Amino acid sequence: MKPENPILSGLALAGGLIFLSPVLYSIWMSFQTVNAYYSGGLEFTLDNYQRAVGQFNFARYLLNSVIVSGCVTVTGLAVATMAAFAFARYRFRGGDLLFGATVATLMIPSHISLIPNYLTLAEVGLLDTYAGLILPAISNGFAAFFLRQYIRGIPKALDEAAYMDGATPLQVLWRVIVPISRPAIFSMGLYIFISEWNNYIWPLVAVGKEDLFTLQIGLARLYRINPGEGLIDWPLVMAASTITILPVLAGFLLVERHLVRGITMGAVK
Amino acid sequence: MSSAASRFPLPLFAIDHVPPLVVTPAGSMLRKLTPYLFVAPLIAFIAMFTYIPIVSSLNLSFREWNFLSPEMPFVGIENYRLLLGSRDFWNSLRVTTIFTLISVPLRLGLALAIASYLVRETLPSRFLRGALFLPSVTSTVSIAVVFSWVFSTDYGLANAVLGHLGFGKVPWLQDPQLSLWVMIFVNTWKQLGYDIVIYIAGLQAVPQELYDATAVDGGRRFHVFRRVTLPLVMPTTYFLLVISVIEAFQVFTIVEVMTHGGPAGATDMLVNMLYRVGFVLFDIGTGSALAVLLFIFLIVLSFVKSRVIGRRVHYEA
Amino acid sequence: MMTLRLPTTIAASLLALFATVGSAQAETTVKFWHSFKADGEALEKIIANFEAANPDIDIQAELIGNYNDIVTKLQAAIPARRAPDAVIMEVTRYGLFADSGVLTDLTPYFEADPLKDDLYGYAREVGVYKGKNYIVPFNSSTPVLYYNKGILARAGITEEPSLKTFDDVLSVSKTITDKLGGEGITGIAAPGQFARWGLVMSNDSELIDSKSNDILLDSPNTIEAYRWMASLVHEQKVASADGVTDEDIGRDAFLAGKVGIMINSTGNFSGARKAIGDNLVVRPMPCNKVCSVPIGGAGIGILSSSPKEVQDAAYKFVSFAASAESNAIWFAGTGYLPINRRATEQTIAAEALATQPGIDVAIKQLDFAHGRARPPVVTWMRSTEYDMWQAMALGQRGVEETMKDFAERTRQEATRAGN
Repeated sequence: MKPENPILSGLALAGGLIFLSPVLYSIWMSFQTVNAYYSGGLEFTLDNYQRAVGQFNFARYLLNSVIVSGCVTVTGLAVATMAAFAFARYRFRGGDLLFGATVATLMIPSHISLIPNYLTLAEVGLLDTYAGLILPAISNGFAAFFLRQYIRGIPKALDEAAYMDGATPLQVLWRVIVPISRPAIFSMGLYIFISEWNNYIWPLVAVGKEDLFTLQIGLARLYRINPGEGLIDWPLVMAASTITILPVLAGFLLVERHLVRGITMGAVK
Repeated sequence: MSSAASRFPLPLFAIDHVPPLVVTPAGSMLRKLTPYLFVAPLIAFIAMFTYIPIVSSLNLSFREWNFLSPEMPFVGIENYRLLLGSRDFWNSLRVTTIFTLISVPLRLGLALAIASYLVRETLPSRFLRGALFLPSVTSTVSIAVVFSWVFSTDYGLANAVLGHLGFGKVPWLQDPQLSLWVMIFVNTWKQLGYDIVIYIAGLQAVPQELYDATAVDGGRRFHVFRRVTLPLVMPTTYFLLVISVIEAFQVFTIVEVMTHGGPAGATDMLVNMLYRVGFVLFDIGTGSALAVLLFIFLIVLSFVKSRVIGRRVHYEA
Repeated sequence: MMTLRLPTTIAASLLALFATVGSAQAETTVKFWHSFKADGEALEKIIANFEAANPDIDIQAELIGNYNDIVTKLQAAIPARRAPDAVIMEVTRYGLFADSGVLTDLTPYFEADPLKDDLYGYAREVGVYKGKNYIVPFNSSTPVLYYNKGILARAGITEEPSLKTFDDVLSVSKTITDKLGGEGITGIAAPGQFARWGLVMSNDSELIDSKSNDILLDSPNTIEAYRWMASLVHEQKVASADGVTDEDIGRDAFLAGKVGIMINSTGNFSGARKAIGDNLVVRPMPCNKVCSVPIGGAGIGILSSSPKEVQDAAYKFVSFAASAESNAIWFAGTGYLPINRRATEQTIAAEALATQPGIDVAIKQLDFAHGRARPPVVTWMRSTEYDMWQAMALGQRGVEETMKDFAERTRQEATRAGN
């Protein structure tokens, strides 16, 4: 890295802060009382968070989001990794066709399946369950494609050595391929987790029961029904909004590099 | 971790096929089945939630149903006829097209310009990259809620800033002429960082010697940019163009939270209309017809683009 | 599913066991969807009273959103079989659900219920569709005209203004906007959908004929009324466009003391009084061509998908909610109309009438209040009307053209829906 130019550093800092100012201000606002907000005064409180978590059930929404995004990430990765392994290492009848069908999902707009998926899950009674939120999100053609490309870059000699030692294909996958692919799997996992965390349209139609709302649904609803009478309680809404972005924000600060790498690697799809 | 990545650089365009495994008679059945077992879960999920729904949508688009009646009569192309004859559809198509035509070049242009400044690995540039990238991983609903406040007429940040500068209040989200611009702004704000990061990756792949060579030739900065940078990031641009057009055509959340497609349909994107027709008016037939049209449209778009632009990328790069 | 359910069931039964010590009866749970955010307190009180009187019934009330939200959520719930047991249904939008058999016919219950003789005629009428009772009235309303005395005084109107015709309303709104516009105060809140319907009726017209179900969206008087309403926003600029895109914003602005006049349901009375206190004045709806107001509000329906014993329990609650005692609590706590003849005899209601000036305006309007048509297409029409109104009020489309197009589409939809 080059030595820092203090002026440039200052400019970068200012530019970044201005760019993020709406979000930063919303976090600041979430610690103020609603009266202070509307009268232009300053009065700090944690009350908005207490109300969001308690009265407005955001603790539950947070839990739901963690469960749903977590399950989608783990199962999605497992399913994609297995398929990627087969696509990368085997030639089998129909394999190209199946791979083509997997890649083609990248071009298919997800909205075409909105109404049918709703009806399918209604039919089997899985709406208003965690399974109903998770199942349609598991298949991820992009993850399968991306991991397949990665696995193909791993020398085959490593697999063959393991087979010599009497390993089964599943063991080769688990002991050889997965450890080497860890960075790719990790980046892909982050990508899936964040996409699912921020998913809106499917939970919007699939969940009616308040107990199963994810953060996104809870926040949109809180904003829309405007709790309280008269002017909208912006500090409360912003506290809820902060709860919604915080986990991803914290994760972002911890693993920014992996995330960016995952996304740039994914970009060359 | 990073060492593993550098040891096995991504062979993204590798096309060599893996030789078939040596097949021994014992357990050959199982061995033949192995790859199928590995892909089965993925294929099952894809079939269940992606491919079969396309067929179902097509089927539903020829029927009339509102979720309530026990039967769903076949009505032929009636739903398509109604849809193509409705003002709402053409309005949505127009609004979505305008949104796409403005926001995509805006995003890409800004992103490339900013990326070429942030391409160096200095601390300020890394910080700014992080700041710009942050919104693209942040909850869209949160962003939409925050910007609903920013652009609210009476207590919003935007009008407060304008007020300090001596301007009057602007009804950002109530004025049909303005609200689409607000949507474009918010969407650009959210997605810009992603484009920048991709462009930076593309720019970093350009060998430094090429810049040096042009500089020796006496090329000025813009000249270098036009002659060297632009052609070399053409594949990146193509990639971003494809995904951002597809994404722009499917924009939903920002609009749904901020305006519901209003005022007076001014921000009524195709997917918002689809959601409204399907899950508010429960005209399942017409909603499915709209989904099918959107599907065909996007598939054709991807195809045409890969034909037209794909050739140009090859030619120029 | 089974494995998940079992522990929950055991836990729930254990809890129930502890909760109902001494009572051998099993609890019946009634899931009830409602739309009362600001009036939640009064509803909670009624539910608590009911549960105290019926310890074997548990009412699980859930706030869904407004009437529109209830309709969409209920419709979405049908294929998913996740509908509640009882639901608040707005009086013009339950026909769709009655027709398709989603709501159960309450006639047998109602006929056997002494309650039916206590209900006012107008209230009984709102629950009848095609000769059968599908909902029992709970919260009935008419729109009224509210104004903020303090704002009018500051605009120089200290005398009681005449607010009988459209011109009257416009001229007061103009005065307020001219004098106080600089402080961010507007003359009138853009009328919400219920108010729009009322204003059409006061212009001697209807959206749908209440007898023949003919669509009257493009009749000259309807168009004229809409033209006037749209002009408040677009040409005269006495109403803020904020209330056009979201009618709650218009109401909230009135409650916050930012708007002079608001035409809205009498159900807003208590909220408005709490918000602006003695500055609140309530007046009857304008009578531009005739005096005629719509009867609005909602009743409670019971889902045909619920088991019989749950339906029985739900009806007990529905009947209790319309009883004189409950209705008095509801009337006094919200400003909705009394639906039970004996409600006003109750102390709490008599007190409200004596101490809350304006709460009786809606009652007096009942002489010229009318029920409205409720064929299935109304649900579609009301969902679509919002977009039409926005286009007109924001000056995107001409009123006449829009209303003719709207009428055309509604007729088309009516034949499609097989009305």
